[in-house]
Amino acid sequence: MSKFLKNIGWFIFFVIISYPLLVIFWGDVMPHVLKKNLNFRVASGSHLVTKINEISNYKNSDILILGSSHAYREIDTRILKQYGYKAFNLGSSAQTPVQSLIFLQDYVNVINPKFLFYEVFPQTFEIDGVESSLDLLAYYKINKKVLNMAFTINNIRTYNTLIFGYCKQLFGKNKNLQEDTTDQEDNYISGGFVEKKKITFNQEKAPDVINKIKWTPRSYQLSAFEKMVSLAKNKNIKLILIQTPVTSFRYAKYSDNENIDKYFSGKAQYYNFNKLMSLSDSVHFYDDHHLNQIGVRLFDDALMKYIFGK
Amino acid sequence: MLFNSLNFAIFLPIVLILYWFVTNKKLQLQNILLLVASYFFYACWDYRFLFLLIFSTLLDYFTGIKMHEAKTRKTKKFWFWLSILINLGFLGFFKYYNFFTESFASALGVIGLKPNFWTLNVILPVGISFYTFHGLSYVIDIYNGRVKPVRNFIEYAVFVCFFPLLVAGPIERATHLLPQIQKKRQFDYLKAVDGLKQILWGLFKKMVIADNCAEYANLIFYNSGTYSGSTLVLGALFFTFQIYCDFSGYSDIALGTARLFGIELLRNFAFPYFARDIAEFWRRWHISLTTWFRDYLYIPLGGSKGGTWKKVRNTFIIFLVSGFWHGANWTFIVWGALNAIYFLPLLLLKRNRNNIETVAQGKYFPSLKELLNMIITFALTVFAWIFFRAESVGHAFRYIGKIFSRSLFKHPEIAHEALGIAPIIGFFLCVEWFGREQQYALQHLGLKWPRILRWSFYSFLIFLIGMFMSTNGSPFIYFQF
Repeated sequence: MSKFLKNIGWFIFFVIISYPLLVIFWGDVMPHVLKKNLNFRVASGSHLVTKINEISNYKNSDILILGSSHAYREIDTRILKQYGYKAFNLGSSAQTPVQSLIFLQDYVNVINPKFLFYEVFPQTFEIDGVESSLDLLAYYKINKKVLNMAFTINNIRTYNTLIFGYCKQLFGKNKNLQEDTTDQEDNYISGGFVEKKKITFNQEKAPDVINKIKWTPRSYQLSAFEKMVSLAKNKNIKLILIQTPVTSFRYAKYSDNENIDKYFSGKAQYYNFNKLMSLSDSVHFYDDHHLNQIGVRLFDDALMKYIFGK
Repeated sequence: MLFNSLNFAIFLPIVLILYWFVTNKKLQLQNILLLVASYFFYACWDYRFLFLLIFSTLLDYFTGIKMHEAKTRKTKKFWFWLSILINLGFLGFFKYYNFFTESFASALGVIGLKPNFWTLNVILPVGISFYTFHGLSYVIDIYNGRVKPVRNFIEYAVFVCFFPLLVAGPIERATHLLPQIQKKRQFDYLKAVDGLKQILWGLFKKMVIADNCAEYANLIFYNSGTYSGSTLVLGALFFTFQIYCDFSGYSDIALGTARLFGIELLRNFAFPYFARDIAEFWRRWHISLTTWFRDYLYIPLGGSKGGTWKKVRNTFIIFLVSGFWHGANWTFIVWGALNAIYFLPLLLLKRNRNNIETVAQGKYFPSLKELLNMIITFALTVFAWIFFRAESVGHAFRYIGKIFSRSLFKHPEIAHEALGIAPIIGFFLCVEWFGREQQYALQHLGLKWPRILRWSFYSFLIFLIGMFMSTNGSPFIYFQF
């Protein structure tokens, strides 16, 4: 039995050494289809590389914006500038509170904002945060906070990408990363906003029957969110929680929207623009939950009106 | 508690340490530990059905003793039928109640009657088909004088609910497992290492092949109306690999786990997709169930003795019952009937025992004839799995109808996404082929290699699990049966 246990111990040690080596080799050599649980993306829709590269140009901004694609595709920093506010949008794809907290902790002293606009899409509190973690692991310096995030999410894709990302960092292969600021569909606007090149309209019709669901946030997402609230308070930053508009049928999906509002309004100043604005599902959206540029203009004007009275 | 879960990865070492270090002095203590661990394992699924398991165990334990003590044949028969009827009654109620009421209502509907039967929201207790068959084999064997009843309840209860086999088999026999439970077990280094290797291979089959194939098989079967015939062929192939790797993967983990406790379970799979005819396939697929039906149903019915009519009847009975055992759906019955149709010509031409030895024994590659036979058998099996997987018989016919349409020659819609799993299936088939003469594919592979190379290979399998495993945690298919 002792021989068995000793060999098991050695074998576990062997696996601990060989597994990361295989991840690095596989990640570098194999085509994408053979890397199901390793997603090291060099460019993504949120242009996170560019954002991180230009963040130092936005020191002492008035507003820091965090959140998911609704944040970086709907809060246009150019419109905010027209109202006299310098803003930096650090939203990223499917960003959940776990990632938002890391961004806030790392950049609050760089941006030094007076206001923190946090886009609270209820669904981002329900998901595991794997997608967004992959962005972070690809571009971000792997530090204690990122490691903590990986352990919180506890998903094999995150672990594999973490190992691969860490090795890239170790060998200096993720320094000076650059990405195109424009692609077939999007233009990246300095300051973090991502604009659709063409105005398209939502084709999705409201379903005959909406299968309603209850909001079931994950405990670790709520905990990260509450840490953000405390951090903003400690730094004397005015936290503004924003639920951006979605199509009426998408909004109707949650059976307990009132409870969602109650939760957020108990944490900070909160605006639910699904209630404050009346938009057309077909004219102002390009899909069932993203505004097109016509909708963005209306929404950002409303945002300024409600928050700053302008 | 799934075998491929973190909970099981914690549970198993704890039980093993207690088993070999704390309770190893006394056999009774080891058996009590196995029983408590098994009940805990079962309660993790659904503690409400633990009572049913305990009741079934008590029933067979006492009827076994009563039958043995019966002074007259009539009394013996009474206890025998009591056990059989109650066991089958539970199985029938939990598994088939709604099927029979709904089928009966549909049948009356055909002649214009619209009866309003009660259908109940009956939850199927996990493993009921397996532990009921354990108990039945024990009771039948005592009745036939093949075994003597166990007087120690703990030993009998461990036989019924030993956790590696509790929820999806292999279906054990009293003659095979009970003596091992009654005898002191010694830790054997080689057996334990062998057990771990079998667990690793089982996890690879389940987490890499089965779960990935399941994603495509589910997608294609759920949306079969929208895909081309060529894609539907791919769907059937994906399901073919899914079901084999899912169930044989489970069996490998069960056998490997039991071996860590010094217990050998019955082999359940012997590389069925390398079979050269359907009879060989059935000697290699779900062996513990096939032999159960052979010994307790087919042979008592007369087996292959007697006239042609009797042979045909018995073959159909065993295949239909086997299909029905899988679940309360006509799809399983049609699947069983189809296999009977495949099997009958072999039986009637007395060719059903042509291929007893492993294919291409002692050779690297099969002959052209063997290869052709394997391909034909595999194709027949894939075709039959369509019925097994389909939502209904109608769905299966529509699925097959679409395969045999012009769209069969279109480029499959999901070919690109599926590319990732194709080389992994190729790798899996190679390992299975070169290990086909062993108990499981990995058993002797690399035994003569230097340790560093052998360990690198096992690490590579662990790496593939990490790289391809599904992150949603899918249960084993046979848990539903």
